[in-house]
Amino acid sequence: MYLIKKSDVLEIARELGKEYQVIGPVVDADSGQTFFEKTEPELIQLKAPIPSVPPKYTVFPQIETLMRYRYDRESKEVEIREMYETEPKAVFGLRSCDLNGLLCLDRFFLGQEFVDEAYRVHRKKMFIVTNTCVTPFKNCFCVCTDSGPAAEEGYDLNLTELDDVYLVEAGSDKGRELVERMGLEKADESYAVKKKEAVDKSVSLFEEFATDSKAWISRVMNRVTTGFIREDVWEYIGDQCFECGACTFVCPSCSCFNIVDVNNADGSSERLRTWDSCSYEGYSRMAGGHNPRKPVEDRRNKRFFCKLSYSQMKKYLRPGCVGCGRCAWVCPGNIGLPKVVEYVRRETHK
Amino acid sequence: MKVTTIVNVPEVVTIDEIREEIKDVKTFYLSFDKKEYQDTFKIRSGQFVMCTVFGSGEFAVSLPPSPENDRFHLTVKQVGKVTTALHELEPGDKLGIRGPFGNGFPFEEIKGKNVIYVAGGIGLIPLRSSIVHVLQHKEEFGRVIVMHGAQTPEALMYKDNLKEWQNFDGFETYITVDNPTPDWTGETGFVHTLFDKANLPVENTVAFVCGPPIMFNTVIGELMKRGISDESIYSTLERHMKCGVGKCQHCAIGRTLVCTDGPVYTFRQIKTLGEEI
Repeated sequence: MYLIKKSDVLEIARELGKEYQVIGPVVDADSGQTFFEKTEPELIQLKAPIPSVPPKYTVFPQIETLMRYRYDRESKEVEIREMYETEPKAVFGLRSCDLNGLLCLDRFFLGQEFVDEAYRVHRKKMFIVTNTCVTPFKNCFCVCTDSGPAAEEGYDLNLTELDDVYLVEAGSDKGRELVERMGLEKADESYAVKKKEAVDKSVSLFEEFATDSKAWISRVMNRVTTGFIREDVWEYIGDQCFECGACTFVCPSCSCFNIVDVNNADGSSERLRTWDSCSYEGYSRMAGGHNPRKPVEDRRNKRFFCKLSYSQMKKYLRPGCVGCGRCAWVCPGNIGLPKVVEYVRRETHK
Repeated sequence: MKVTTIVNVPEVVTIDEIREEIKDVKTFYLSFDKKEYQDTFKIRSGQFVMCTVFGSGEFAVSLPPSPENDRFHLTVKQVGKVTTALHELEPGDKLGIRGPFGNGFPFEEIKGKNVIYVAGGIGLIPLRSSIVHVLQHKEEFGRVIVMHGAQTPEALMYKDNLKEWQNFDGFETYITVDNPTPDWTGETGFVHTLFDKANLPVENTVAFVCGPPIMFNTVIGELMKRGISDESIYSTLERHMKCGVGKCQHCAIGRTLVCTDGPVYTFRQIKTLGEEI
C-alpha cells in the first residue's frame, strides 16, 4: 500500500503516459456526460460519474479490422495480412463494475477452448488503474451483483480516496514496479482499516443515492436457469423492447459480434468485426430465411438468460451483470436489467 | 501425426473441380495451396468448416467427405449473398478455409450397432461423411440402412453415391420422392412411410436424422414410436454463424453453442435446449 497526495494523483497518469496511451474519464463540457476516452492526463476527472459507454471498446472495439486481403481473379493470387496490432493502453480511473465487465470478457475471450487472438493482443498491452467508488451514483446496483464498490482483483493499481490522500494498492508486479519507480510514500496498516471504513460507508450510501436501480439477482437466477417464468412476463417485456440494441452496446460484459467483409476501392478487402446485438431480428436469421428466434420476446429472454443463468455463471465465474445500471439508463422502453429482474421476481407486471 | 485446426486466418485452397449436383447445389473439390495442410488437415464426420469467398464473406458449411480416402470437398446450396458468389467461381479460383470445427458424429460409440440414416433433401450432405465412413468399416457395424427422400427425382442428392450404396452388399438403401415424374419407378411419399417396409431394427440401434424442420419432427416422432430412444437419435443442427469458435454467439441455442457444443446433438439434448431448432 502506498499514498499519494490528492492533488498529485494524476502524476500516476502522467507517468503511465510515457509508455502507454492514457484512457480515462473526461467530462464533456457541452453535455455534461462522462466519456472514457484517449486523453491528456491533466484532463482526467477521477470523481466524474461513471462513463456513459463502458471502456470495453479498448479491448473489443466497436469496429475492428481482423485482416486485410486481396484476391486477383486474373492471376489467381491471394494475399492475406492479419491485423492484430494495437498500441499499449493504460486505462486510468476504471470503476469496479467496469473492471468486472472486463474480467467477464477475459474469461470469455481467453479462458475457453479457443483464445480470441484480437482480444488477446489488445489485453496483453494494458495497464489498469481502478478507482474505488466512495459514493455510489444514481443508477448503480453493484452491491446486488457482487462487483463493487471496490475492485478486489484484476487491477495493476487501485486508488481509494481517503480525506486528502489517495491510497494506492498494487495488484501486480507491473503496478508495484511503477509506484516504486515514482517513489510513492508507503502507507501503514491503519490505511487498510480506513479503506474498509470508506467502502462500508459507500455500501451504506446505496439506500440514499442509488435510488434508481435495485436487482435481487440471486432470487431470479434459479428461475431464469430453469425457465420457470410465465410466457406472458416475457411477452410484456418483449412488448417494451424497441430492438435498438442500446442495452447490449453499453453493457460492460456483452460481447456478441458480427463479421463482415468489405471491399475497398483499390480492390483490396477487409474483414471487419463489429458489435452486434441479440435484440436484432436478423441476429439468428439464416441465409435461407429460417429464423429460430423471430419473436422479440424470444430474443429478450435470451439476453437475460445470458446475464443471469447458472450456465453463464460457470463461464464468467460470476453473474454476467456487473450492476453498472447503464442498460436501465439508456433503455427507451424501461426494461433495463433491474426492471426485468423485478418483473421476473414478482412473476407479474402488474 | 499433428492435426491442425485453422482458427484465425483462413488458409487458401484452390478449386480443382466443380460438379453440379442438383438445381442450385454444386460440389467444389478443393486442395490446400500449402502442402503441409494436405496431410495435417484431418476432419471427423459431422464437423464443419468456415469457407471464405474472397470479396464476399464467410459462411459455415458442413463437411461431406469421409475422414479417410476421400477428396476434400464441400457441397453448397446457393441461398444467400456469399454462396451466390461462390457459385459464380470456376475451377482454378481460390477460397479460404478455417476449421475444422465442432464435435462431429460419434463413431467409436456406435460400433457394433445397427445404424439408420434418414436424410431429407440436402440433409444428405452432412450425413454423407458418416455414411461413407461406415461403408469403409462395414464389418464393424450391424445392419446399415440409408433412407433418402427428396421432393422430385431430380432433387435427389449424390446420385452416384446413392447408386453405389444401393449396389453395396452391406447396405439397405431406400429412396423416395414426394412428387414423382412420369418416368419415376421408385417409391413415392415422405421418407418415414418407408419405415415399415424397411422393417427397422429397434434394439441396439442408432439413427442419424437430417433434413428440413418439418421432416425432422415427423421422422423423429416415428422413430420414437417404434421404440428408438431419444439418446440414440442424432442430428446435426444449422445456425447462423460468424466465428465458428464460440465467440460471436450467433449460433446459441439454449445454453449451448452449435459451433463448439454441436453441431451434432442427440434428440434428448435438443429437447432440453428449450428453443426452436
